[in-house]
Amino acid sequence: MSTEFTGPPSQPPSTRPLQPPVVATARIPVVPPTPPAPPSAPAAKRDAPSSGRSVALLLPLLVGGGVSVSLGVYGRLHTPSGIAVDLAGFSSPLAVKVWLACGAVLLAFVQLLSALAMWRRLGGFSPSWAGTLHRWSGRLAFLLTVPVAMHCLYAFGLATYSPRVLIHSLLGCFFYGAFTAKMLLLPKKGLPGWTLPVLGGAVFTALTGLWLSSSVWFFATNGVQF
Amino acid sequence: MKRTAPLLTLLAGLGVGAVLFVANTIVSQPHKAPPRSGTAVQAAATRAAPTSAAPSAATTAPPAAAVKKITATWAGKVDGGKASIAIAAKEGVAVAYLCDGNRVEGWLRGTAADGKLSLSGENGDRLTGTFGNGRAEGSVSVGRWTWTFDVKTVTKPSGLYRATANVRNAEVVGGWIVVDGRQVGAVDGPDGTQSAPELSIPSLTATWDGAPLVAVPLS
Repeated sequence: MSTEFTGPPSQPPSTRPLQPPVVATARIPVVPPTPPAPPSAPAAKRDAPSSGRSVALLLPLLVGGGVSVSLGVYGRLHTPSGIAVDLAGFSSPLAVKVWLACGAVLLAFVQLLSALAMWRRLGGFSPSWAGTLHRWSGRLAFLLTVPVAMHCLYAFGLATYSPRVLIHSLLGCFFYGAFTAKMLLLPKKGLPGWTLPVLGGAVFTALTGLWLSSSVWFFATNGVQF
Repeated sequence: MKRTAPLLTLLAGLGVGAVLFVANTIVSQPHKAPPRSGTAVQAAATRAAPTSAAPSAATTAPPAAAVKKITATWAGKVDGGKASIAIAAKEGVAVAYLCDGNRVEGWLRGTAADGKLSLSGENGDRLTGTFGNGRAEGSVSVGRWTWTFDVKTVTKPSGLYRATANVRNAEVVGGWIVVDGRQVGAVDGPDGTQSAPELSIPSLTATWDGAPLVAVPLS
């Protein structure tokens, strides 16, 4: 159950020339991976099936883009309420969000490491449970972000009054689009080898950016609160 | 991995989101806009449901209007006269500004419902109090200062004004409390808090450090 992820083992040869993007995403907050050439370069050599591979990418990416745009449009059109439900037990709604986001980022690092293990990028350390760990930490991280995002979207909307807030708003929209695209692409067979690392890297980078522009900012301005 | 697993993940997220959305809609009814202001993120609102639902029996409101969302502005000097306070509520969503016209100032946001004021701001700034019969009273803590206040309802052009601008790549926020033609205001900019320039009332403009500020009434 834990070994049959759709990652590298299914297509060892094709991943070879495509390693750079994987390594790049591993180095963390590089800008969302605009991967160097691979999509077109290797595709050109593999003539016939290559177009099919790229077409398989198209619909999930479009859906992901649609999710991002919809979130942004909603955040702009809905008049922010200033109020939204939050979890009990913390000193303020912001503290709840900040700590949920910290949990998600912690799990995102588990994601990064388990992905590296799955792709045999940890010097041969690739336990059979890496896939299971990756999937469950990802699910949990995603679910942790949902209440945070709902609060942002409902209480504040897409705001632009400072660079931090603008970046945070845009990254938030991008994050859910990228995540949706990755989820939709996961079960697909015969994708270009760079697909999942690039999307995973994009999701990871976006989440890190979201955390830096919110939780870290919050701690820097307010001190560490619970 | 089952082919449907990622889809289930997405649906689970969507489900949680949908539940929260419905809850939000209930909590913030009628979801009217607070002014889009710079402090929006810092000062997340306090929970509406507990504040508004609890003490309806204690107040004089009839049961039908148990959750009474008010639109009003109260402004005046805090007790002792060292600073001014203005609280602008729109359909129960309140923004308050405390300012001594010099170095002390703070923006707070929260709720004004069911006779109670509950607002919070940056760094633990808080305002709690009650309102009714044309007055608002309570206490406000901003930074190291805490004052009590008992101020009355004001109407335009008295009220609370706020301007945000980007002056030479720095965010500048100005606030003015106007009561019976007298202004108290401050501008928070890259060099900290300073006295605000005179706000021209009909045009709601001011000039700060050579740059124009355009204020909006929050009341």
